[in-house]
Amino acid sequence: MKTMTIKYLAFLCLALSLSRAQAFDLGQELRNAARDLQKPGSSKVLGGYSEAEEVAIGRQIAGNLLGAAPLVPDRQLQKYVNNVGRWVASQSERPDLAWHFGVIDSRDINAFAAPGGYIFVTAGLYRLLNDEAELSGVLAHEIGHVIKKHHLKILQQSKIVDLGGKLIGKQVGGDEKISNLIGSGAEIVSRSLDKGAEFEADRIGVVLAARAGYDAYGLPGVLQQIGHTAKDDSSSVALLFKTHPHPDERLARLGDAMDSRFDGIKGQTVEKRLYRIK
Amino acid sequence: MTLRFNHLLLAAMMLIATAAQAGESGTTVKADTLKAAPFSDAKVIATLPSGAKVEILKKDGGWYQVKSPQGNGWIRLLSIRRGGAKATSAGSELSGLSGLASGRSGTGRVVATTGIRGLNEEQLKAAKYDEKQVTLAESYLTSRADAKKFAASAKLAARQLDYLPDPSTGESK
Repeated sequence: MKTMTIKYLAFLCLALSLSRAQAFDLGQELRNAARDLQKPGSSKVLGGYSEAEEVAIGRQIAGNLLGAAPLVPDRQLQKYVNNVGRWVASQSERPDLAWHFGVIDSRDINAFAAPGGYIFVTAGLYRLLNDEAELSGVLAHEIGHVIKKHHLKILQQSKIVDLGGKLIGKQVGGDEKISNLIGSGAEIVSRSLDKGAEFEADRIGVVLAARAGYDAYGLPGVLQQIGHTAKDDSSSVALLFKTHPHPDERLARLGDAMDSRFDGIKGQTVEKRLYRIK
Repeated sequence: MTLRFNHLLLAAMMLIATAAQAGESGTTVKADTLKAAPFSDAKVIATLPSGAKVEILKKDGGWYQVKSPQGNGWIRLLSIRRGGAKATSAGSELSGLSGLASGRSGTGRVVATTGIRGLNEEQLKAAKYDEKQVTLAESYLTSRADAKKFAASAKLAARQLDYLPDPSTGESK
């Protein structure tokens, strides 16, 4: 009975938020929603979008982010991160999504995920990496956000909260309807997810990297490095620290979760192959 | 004579190596045991309290080899926070352990030639959609099959592993 009520409420929220967006085929959405509601515990109830819509939303966020910081103009580098990223993503529940990875031209230390499998690492973060296992860990954390639809869920929440609010971003470029949904530019990537979502992405990150054959301690290594760098250069991590729990806290949580589970699992660091930015 | 010179060279090299290894300090973030080898069932040398100062010598998977007042041994990487008061002679601490872990001590970090811009909230908010850049980003797509070949070329093999449970709820996600 209780479950029924919750489902009904979820459905109502979804319907309400959809009526505000109006951007998408409402009939189709309701059919999808109805179908999803029949699967107990389906995260799609919260995500609420078809894969095509998810990719369209992500693509626009990616385009806005690239408007702020374009790709580092190095074809080999970009191809390399796509190779590593796609291999790691192949170990996830969404191996056939068209995953895209890129290194963007910014000295800031950060990484971003947009729905539909668009993932970007800043050149500042990339330069901290010591080996391919560390890169795999960073990308795997972002892949975790995508497969758990963490950003789609905050879009859904913000729509509910914004009910009755003004529509913005008419001439942002790209698809106007999606602009209405995601807000100004790439502001959405600077919004914080809840801490639980970050810890979850960390746990997924170490597992996906290890599944791909890498040393599971790549991501923890990067977190240690970031915590350390922060003391010398706080401006480069300002946004990262604002939107994520402190690396020490993330490491402590990861330590509890990993415990001795990875003791027998040796992975590779693939240090020699790490592509160095020129 | 040549032999002597070689000796000196060797001694000098050893000195340099030691200097590079006398790398970075660290602090335990929780009480943990110091082991004789990097395995959980290795012999326990000592138990370090939380907040103990150590010197990090080497990394192996999930373990750091450390020097501590209670002895030298191996401790879980995630029980250590890197950094502390100690400055190293070989440049910044940033290059210390990373170089050590990867055997690239002394090469230093490349000075940034790209990536001069920051990326703050205002810049993100003001960002204008760039279709050309997205198309370019998408052009680098790697297929699943090619990714597999790429992995195989570094002898990376996929393996089965369950996701980690959330320790705060005790449930697996």
